[in-house]
Amino acid sequence: MYAPATGKQKPVEQEVITEENVFERPDETIAFFPKQVLYDLFVSTLLLLACCALSYVSPAPLTEPADTATVTYVPRPEWFFFFYEQMLMFFPGYALISFGAVVVPTVFVVLLFAVPWLDRGPRASSTRRPFATVIGVLVVVVVLLNMLMAVSRIINFPGQ
Amino acid sequence: MGAISKARSQAADAGKFVADWLEHRAGIVTMMEHFLYEPVPKRGAWIYTLGSATLFLITLQFLTGILLLFYYVPSTDHAWNSIYYIMNEAYFGTLIRGIHYWSANFLLAVIGLHMAQVFFSGGYKAPRELNWVVGVVLLLLVVIIAFTGYALRWDQDGVWATVVGMKIGSYSPFVGAYTIQFLMGGDTIGPATVSRFFAIHVWLLPAALAPFIGIHLYLLRRHGVFGDEMEYRERLAKLQERQRLEEYEQYEDDGEPYVGRRDRADRD
Repeated sequence: MYAPATGKQKPVEQEVITEENVFERPDETIAFFPKQVLYDLFVSTLLLLACCALSYVSPAPLTEPADTATVTYVPRPEWFFFFYEQMLMFFPGYALISFGAVVVPTVFVVLLFAVPWLDRGPRASSTRRPFATVIGVLVVVVVLLNMLMAVSRIINFPGQ
Repeated sequence: MGAISKARSQAADAGKFVADWLEHRAGIVTMMEHFLYEPVPKRGAWIYTLGSATLFLITLQFLTGILLLFYYVPSTDHAWNSIYYIMNEAYFGTLIRGIHYWSANFLLAVIGLHMAQVFFSGGYKAPRELNWVVGVVLLLLVVIIAFTGYALRWDQDGVWATVVGMKIGSYSPFVGAYTIQFLMGGDTIGPATVSRFFAIHVWLLPAALAPFIGIHLYLLRRHGVFGDEMEYRERLAKLQERQRLEEYEQYEDDGEPYVGRRDRADRD
């Protein structure tokens, strides 16, 4: 039977704290306005200024018009696909490429969706759930290393 | 009463009249109070701004994208020329396209940081599981939007990177080849590809993105900002105390003398 997850309607002193509702409301709260709104505005303004400055310092790229007849052009993906592109280098050949291109990313995305159900413990702090933290750090390290390897390959072997 | 004081008083009255009128018609004041005074974790932190930064960058994408549409022509004959015109002739073209380009780059980076923050702080735990799922959907949509925008430039980099991307996608079992043929509008990249990528980049995916952003925000408001475990110390302590007492009562009911967890582990 469905029971409303949120116990916010009840006063704090009447609430029975369970593993399900322990993170429903913090110990102490403040209003979203003005402190957090000002923080948000500050960060958004910085990002906007950075975008404006970069628009002139390093304008959005536009290489020569596309020539679909050429067969020698070596394209480069945007930096956020470097990780994916580099991963394909580990799965060469016709037999393995579908594994690297489709199977591994699909498994990764499925695991990403399933994270809340894979880690159901009552503790949230990363130091209190070392297994999840180590896995998370490993994923970050692998992504960053792959990106660095892609950058290194592009710098050292621009034609490949 | 001096003239300045009188003007101030009249301005305050006018402001109150407008606020009352809008409140009566649309409940705007109540709505603003509801949104602005939503309780958030007291500690607050700069790292909690990553979500709003993501929303801000997506808004920038929408706004600058709409402005680019005033000049952009989605055809193989004119796409590159129209972007060249935007960059070199149109008023603020370099700025508008620059903001579109750089905010897309920042968006991907900020989404990565936002996800990492939620993951390492455990922000996906009950009752916020669904918001994590919706966040992953949003990530995938943004990545696909970024990919489909690449070909619209119709320059060498954009076109050939798209060809490589689609070649990779064609390895998907069963559906890969059909999907790629549909996206390219044939066997090779050409005019139909630009039309389809344009439709997907400008209409289909933003239309899909918008409701998911709404759901993400709704769930955020429903369960509140998680923040960090530090914000829940007292509640966690109460939970542990209650669990300890329940365990104690259970042992009393069983007629066994209660020993702590560690002693029991040693005994076992």
